[in-house]
Amino acid sequence: MSNFVKSKKRELVVIVAICIMACIFTILNPIYMTGKNFLSIMQQATINGILAIGMTYAIISGGIDLSIGCTFAIVIVTVGKMTVSGLNPVLAIFLGILLGAAMGAINGLLITKMKLQPFIATLGTMSVYRGIAYVVTGGWPVLDIPDAFRTLLSKRISSLGGVNIYMFIFFAVAIVAGIVLAKTKFGNYIYAVGGNEEAAKLSGVNVDRAKIKAYAVTGVCAAIAGMIQLASLGTGEPTAGSGYELDAIAAAAIGGTRMAGGKGTILGTVFGAILLAALKIGLIVLNVDTFWQYIVTGIIIIIAAYFEFIQEKFASIVAKKEVK
Amino acid sequence: MGNAVEFKKINKRFPGAHVLKDVTFSVKDGEVHALLGENGAGKSTLLNILHGVYAEYEGEVLLHGNKVAFKNPNEAIVKGKISKVHQETNVVKDLTVGQNITLGYEPKKGVFVDYKELNNKVDNILTQLRCKFKSSDLAGNLTAGEMQMMAIAKALFHESKIISLDEPTTALTLKETDALFEVIRQLKKDGITILYVSHRLEEIFQICDRASILRDGQYITTLNIADTNRAELIRNMVGRDVAAVAGRTKSGIKQKEIVLKVEGLSSGRKFQDVSFELHRGEIVGFFGLVGAGRTEVMRTLFGADKKTAGRVFLKGKETHIKNTHQGLKDGIGLIPEERKTQGFINLQSNINNVALSSLERYMSGIFVDDTKRRENCEKYIQELEIHPAKADFLTSNMSGGNQQKVILAKWMSTDVDVLIFDEPTKGVDVGAKVEIYRIMEEIAESGKGVILVSSELPEVMGMSDRIMIMSEGRIAGELNREEYYEDHILNLAIGGNDNE
Repeated sequence: MSNFVKSKKRELVVIVAICIMACIFTILNPIYMTGKNFLSIMQQATINGILAIGMTYAIISGGIDLSIGCTFAIVIVTVGKMTVSGLNPVLAIFLGILLGAAMGAINGLLITKMKLQPFIATLGTMSVYRGIAYVVTGGWPVLDIPDAFRTLLSKRISSLGGVNIYMFIFFAVAIVAGIVLAKTKFGNYIYAVGGNEEAAKLSGVNVDRAKIKAYAVTGVCAAIAGMIQLASLGTGEPTAGSGYELDAIAAAAIGGTRMAGGKGTILGTVFGAILLAALKIGLIVLNVDTFWQYIVTGIIIIIAAYFEFIQEKFASIVAKKEVK
Repeated sequence: MGNAVEFKKINKRFPGAHVLKDVTFSVKDGEVHALLGENGAGKSTLLNILHGVYAEYEGEVLLHGNKVAFKNPNEAIVKGKISKVHQETNVVKDLTVGQNITLGYEPKKGVFVDYKELNNKVDNILTQLRCKFKSSDLAGNLTAGEMQMMAIAKALFHESKIISLDEPTTALTLKETDALFEVIRQLKKDGITILYVSHRLEEIFQICDRASILRDGQYITTLNIADTNRAELIRNMVGRDVAAVAGRTKSGIKQKEIVLKVEGLSSGRKFQDVSFELHRGEIVGFFGLVGAGRTEVMRTLFGADKKTAGRVFLKGKETHIKNTHQGLKDGIGLIPEERKTQGFINLQSNINNVALSSLERYMSGIFVDDTKRRENCEKYIQELEIHPAKADFLTSNMSGGNQQKVILAKWMSTDVDVLIFDEPTKGVDVGAKVEIYRIMEEIAESGKGVILVSSELPEVMGMSDRIMIMSEGRIAGELNREEYYEDHILNLAIGGNDNE
């Protein structure tokens, strides 16, 4: 096996799984294999994909962020209100990203400075953030988002066959997040902290700083995803994004992110999100009842996790042989 | 006297590796028999066969003359009356001592566990072993030494006739080690056969009757301890003469400049008023019993723990180290005591582990350059003779000695001025020990200050220019080379008066 294939084994498995699934759906209903349908899969994958990229940072650092769906909602309603009140849309986007980074950093501070378990800390902020979203709006949706803002983040480009601009934002986020994680010092530290926090600390890594930054990235991703949803729907609900954290975790898990931290790639997560979207759209094309979608999605997640287990076991056996 | 254990032409193959080759020897009834060999010599594999962990092998194992073939470790304990006390003892910390010992074989009254009977039985065994803890105590509250005793008590609960001890003293204090040896002598009197695996040769001479030596999966010889010496054992283990294991080859590399000065360093109740100086090119040893506070001092110096009082000067300038990142930047490095849990990142390759503390050296713009990192790693693989010599290899899959070399390479890649070695040769085989000593010396020669924390006297005495002795969180004495006497050092460590 070439080195490239070896290092991207997990991603290739997910791609193969997507292809097999696509074939089955196409045989059952040829509509599945059309350009238009492909577009709707990618659009379906965008929001969850961006959220999952952020989640991947939190998980690789050895934690988890349950509050992303609520950060998502806060950004939707505040940016929504800002644009409605006539704020410059570019400035609004910038403030939205800052807001997401701040919410994420708060999670990071709770986890590092107060030494809370990530699960509990973000379970707490999940409720607080959701509450804030309700308080800001009084429970009412923010309506009539100006087109000046909407067209910045959500617009069909007819010259490209109706591809929506936010798909490119998804790819851009994925590329930047992927490079930062794989290539920068910060990325290296996140893997080290998630792989063995004590060893990272005793190697002179600033563990707290790496974690706070990782959760800030998670928050920024939630903010970007939120603003895309706001732009494409044209309304901002304080209830938006509820349950999205679970889909994001699922995409990361399918993509090979190790739930205990220290391992995973953005590419894997992106394909994980695409797989979930392809599955969802496929079941819709086949007119399968929504209730069944939950069951199938769950089974896929369990298979992915089990596959990860087998793969790790196999790898360690191979390595032991090499030592001898 | 008959044979308690006989190995006949034992062969064990893993895919692609032949790890035991025609191993044949026997252990006499009621003796304390040492099993010696370097890491990877096949000791663990042989023990695993004996105790039913590996059911597949060629050859025969006889216990008291009867051929046995255990399907799993449990069968070996219950039917074979043969128990193994693990290197890292398996303890369920939330259960009581009695529950741990009887786990799976609790005495019962109907469907319920009979705790009265259970505690009576276990307390009987514990009294026999002269343990101070009781069956009803929580296992989590025991010290490392007491956990070891608990494991032995478990072996006795199952009426074992043969007990294997695998590196039993690694985590023990000197006092606990003595207590353990007392128990071993007691067990021997009661006719129990002991198989003893340890890297500490001093212990072999204290406690064992005979020693069988394995090298590269082959049986080499069995020696009567009374008729042999350290050099002969080592020669048989490594197949070559290793001159006085821990010793300096160069002298006079100590420089004038004081690189580290510590004044009155304290951390709550862990240690108080620690002061010392370290020159460039000097190796200063820190000796003390387990719990004397040596590791805590080093962690505080490096920034891993917080100090409550005292001042630290590096290269003449006072520093206020708040975390390890700053410690590294200011020029202090620490090779930690617990290699597997503190030393390296589990899922990562040697490249990443070697580069982790010096990433800024391999940057191209804002990105870490993989080629530069790989080159650095490969350089050290060659220099330190790391095996397997693969940069992409996962550090977690290597042997202890080689993992330690990867950690050394990580710190040699940085430009720290002070490097602290905390128990650097713990669980490392003789060959790798010598190499680690040479590397330590080279680091000192390059002008860094070296601190060696160790619980092994020969190591501290052999390597250090000066020895600081710690006792109960305080510096109990400082000795120069000409003042090195084992009994004097030990006396200080135990808390005796300097003038006694």
